[in-house]
Amino acid sequence: MDFILSLIISGLMNGAIYGLVALGFVLIYKSSSVLNFSQGHMLLLGAYIFWFFRTAMGFNLYLALFLAVGVGFLVGILIERLTLRRLIGQPLISMITVTIFLSLVIEGFVSLIWGSYPLQHIAIFSNRCFNIGNCVLTAQNLYAFGLALTTALALILFFRYTNLGLAMRGVAEGHQTMQSMGISVKKILNISWGIAGMAATIGGIILGSTLGFQLGLSHIGLLAIPAAFIGGLESPEGAILGGLLIGLCESIVSGYIGNAAGVPAAFLILIVVMIFKPYGFFGLVKIERV
Amino acid sequence: MANTSFYPPSGIYSDQYKKDMRIIKTKTQMIMSIAALIMLFVLPELPYVSGYILRLIIGAAIALIICLGLNILTGYCGQLNIGQSAFVMVGAFTSALLNSKFGLPFWATFILAGLAAAAVGVFFGIPSVRLKGLYLALTTLGAQVILTWVALFGFPITAAGFSVDPVKIGSIVFNTPEKFYYIAIPFALVMTFFAKNMMRSKPGRAFIAIRDNDKAAEGMGIDIFRYKLLAFAICTFYAGVAGSLLVHYMMWAQLESFTLQDSIWYLVMIIVGGFGSIEGTILGVIFITVLKEIIFVIGPIAEANLPFLPMGAGSGLLLIIIGGMAIVFLSVEPRGLAHRWNLFKAYYRLWPFGY
Repeated sequence: MDFILSLIISGLMNGAIYGLVALGFVLIYKSSSVLNFSQGHMLLLGAYIFWFFRTAMGFNLYLALFLAVGVGFLVGILIERLTLRRLIGQPLISMITVTIFLSLVIEGFVSLIWGSYPLQHIAIFSNRCFNIGNCVLTAQNLYAFGLALTTALALILFFRYTNLGLAMRGVAEGHQTMQSMGISVKKILNISWGIAGMAATIGGIILGSTLGFQLGLSHIGLLAIPAAFIGGLESPEGAILGGLLIGLCESIVSGYIGNAAGVPAAFLILIVVMIFKPYGFFGLVKIERV
Repeated sequence: MANTSFYPPSGIYSDQYKKDMRIIKTKTQMIMSIAALIMLFVLPELPYVSGYILRLIIGAAIALIICLGLNILTGYCGQLNIGQSAFVMVGAFTSALLNSKFGLPFWATFILAGLAAAAVGVFFGIPSVRLKGLYLALTTLGAQVILTWVALFGFPITAAGFSVDPVKIGSIVFNTPEKFYYIAIPFALVMTFFAKNMMRSKPGRAFIAIRDNDKAAEGMGIDIFRYKLLAFAICTFYAGVAGSLLVHYMMWAQLESFTLQDSIWYLVMIIVGGFGSIEGTILGVIFITVLKEIIFVIGPIAEANLPFLPMGAGSGLLLIIIGGMAIVFLSVEPRGLAHRWNLFKAYYRLWPFGY
């Protein structure tokens, strides 16, 4: 009983981080209908930038956090400006493919500057632990959990109630229509990539302080993809729920089967869900008939 | 200008449909093709051609078969596949297991490997009945993750790697690059020929129709689901045959040759070469193989001579250049090298009166 309880708790805690990363997918998808396969690598870059400011430059924690998130925003904007901007009007599939190659370039960039070995560890959160029954809960997990839920809430409100959020949803529907309504598609896409870069950096810092600053951080993107899809790509609340679901199934499957079966199990669930509910649980159902 | 490749040089007139459909339209093309074939077959005997170069060519020939399959599915039929190397793995391990457990020769296993990979491919293609585009691409990513896990933890033998017999005909054993060259090149030629012809026939035209507008294609009476599954089957059959070739060439089957990154390399090759073009696939595979080799040589030299670079910077350089090039091609020349080659042909045919 204790075993399964601790699996559930650790699954939910990890799931919140997957949800946070999945929010990055939702953010970009909602504004441009593009799935950003390089989200995991943007997260990696964000974590390394934070490490650079904190350890290599020796700034204090808050300044380093602030600078890293700011640079993350700029990186997002720069990526959009240099690659995606040139593809406006091209088939969607080539935009999606570009993000796959973007992940190669970012990983190459990171290993060119910082090398491909893990960096020195830095802790951000306190090491305090709480006991619930016989299960251990770290403060770090709680911070990540809270941060993920807060970000999700902020995004839901942002898309529902602000003009910018409305414009982003419009741009996702159709570039030409929005352009003729007097809204600059380029500006909207640019800003949404900037925000996604910021979100990725936050996720990267949280993850880096738990798992260590290493190239493997980008694999989180692989688990966040099923999370985003199961929840439905258009829905921030779906991303969080999908993240929690994937986290739960990952920890239970690896607890009982072992052998790193979590990722394949997540994809198996994804395929089954997509056969029966192609647009996820909270996604926008598009009906097409001939 | 878009379809310059379809126009023969001026002065060539077709009075029959049969003539118009020929792949080789002029005498010059015929002579050049035969010369190229002869050149290809005497290559290992030429001076300066070492085992190193032959190994590169064999690698390119195997990659060509994989990329032809991928281009049929992704370039012609428009279904993004990010898990191609997993299907290569299915073919490779099927072939290797049949060979080492049951002693079947290569000539029996390569067909079975192709069929096994195609069966797995069709299984992962089934979601295409309701999904398309991005959502379908996800199932191929799932195939990569799930199949790799099965090979790593499902069977002890595939996780560890095991040896495979070389290809034999009678008493000839094809166990060196010089000899295996004569297996790999005919395979690549035959598979290219099949791909080129298949794409000119009914299934090929159906694939293109599905890619360009699936609703219109369905309206015209094309059974989308059937043809998508067919495209999946062809794509993964090619991958399986290539996998079988690969293990019999290396004489060793191991999991490390089939990663997600390999799948992405194959995508880069067809993007640089040209989506939906058989000639482009050949150009892309050659281009990327040569470029990769150049960076493998330059990388360690740069690491040794530039002290400010950290350890492992060479692999970073490779990723930046290859990934960056794919991005440049997608945004600047989405039709790839094949299109550039056609423009060049049109240019020299019209020279000096091009305008």
